[in-house]
Amino acid sequence: MREGFLSPELERVLNLLGMLGIVGVILGSYVYQFSYRELPCTLCLLQRVAMIGVAVGAAMNVMIGPDTRHYGVCLVSSVFGIAIAFRQSLLHMNPFFDKKTGQPTLEATSNPPFGQEVFGLNLYIWSVIIFTVVFLAIGLVQLIRDPSSWPAREPAWLSRLASLGVGLLAIVIASQAVLVFMECGFGDCPNDGGWNWWIFRSSTGS
Amino acid sequence: MMTTAMLLLTVSCVFLWWHKAQWVWLPVMAALVLGLIIFVNDVDFSTNLGIQL
Repeated sequence: MREGFLSPELERVLNLLGMLGIVGVILGSYVYQFSYRELPCTLCLLQRVAMIGVAVGAAMNVMIGPDTRHYGVCLVSSVFGIAIAFRQSLLHMNPFFDKKTGQPTLEATSNPPFGQEVFGLNLYIWSVIIFTVVFLAIGLVQLIRDPSSWPAREPAWLSRLASLGVGLLAIVIASQAVLVFMECGFGDCPNDGGWNWWIFRSSTGS
Repeated sequence: MMTTAMLLLTVSCVFLWWHKAQWVWLPVMAALVLGLIIFVNDVDFSTNLGIQL
């Protein structure tokens, strides 16, 4: 008996599209990072870690086949991402709180937003929205998926497309690792929102 | 630590792409645990949340 109407092939295609969407988000953040010369803060990088975790979970569904364990990777990563993004949003949402003294203040400029806006919202607000959408989408897919109809032979076009997509994801994650190493080294990351690369600091000896 | 987390994610994705390895969820979870440690270290609980640890 069919348990749902979402076939495994369609499920893999949806996961592939979601994974490519996250690749697009990470590449978009590169555009902002380099065009505005603003290095991502610690919380921003943690959101990228969570986003890559979601993408790897989706990539597992695409490469190995849809499975509840793979969705579990996406779920845990998205909950982690929501927590980080919500924390950062709350930090900047309340301008009447002085981070230095830890006291309420009448000065509304004490805690300005971090980074540039995209379509009127800061990146960490978009992050809350994206992780929430991922969370809800995984829940909906669990309701309508049909795990009993896994085909004996997977379509060749889907395998080729999956391999290309996951290869692109691997390249993007590797580039992210290189950029994080250049920004932070193996220590703490700078939180000043400037162009403060660790690799240039260490090479000049400052 | 952030670099280590990203390296773990890179390893997991490369092995998934190359070998379709089933165990790649392990480095992803390890990266998230590292992320959690970075997050807890980054939050100044005593001043920002009013909680003394």
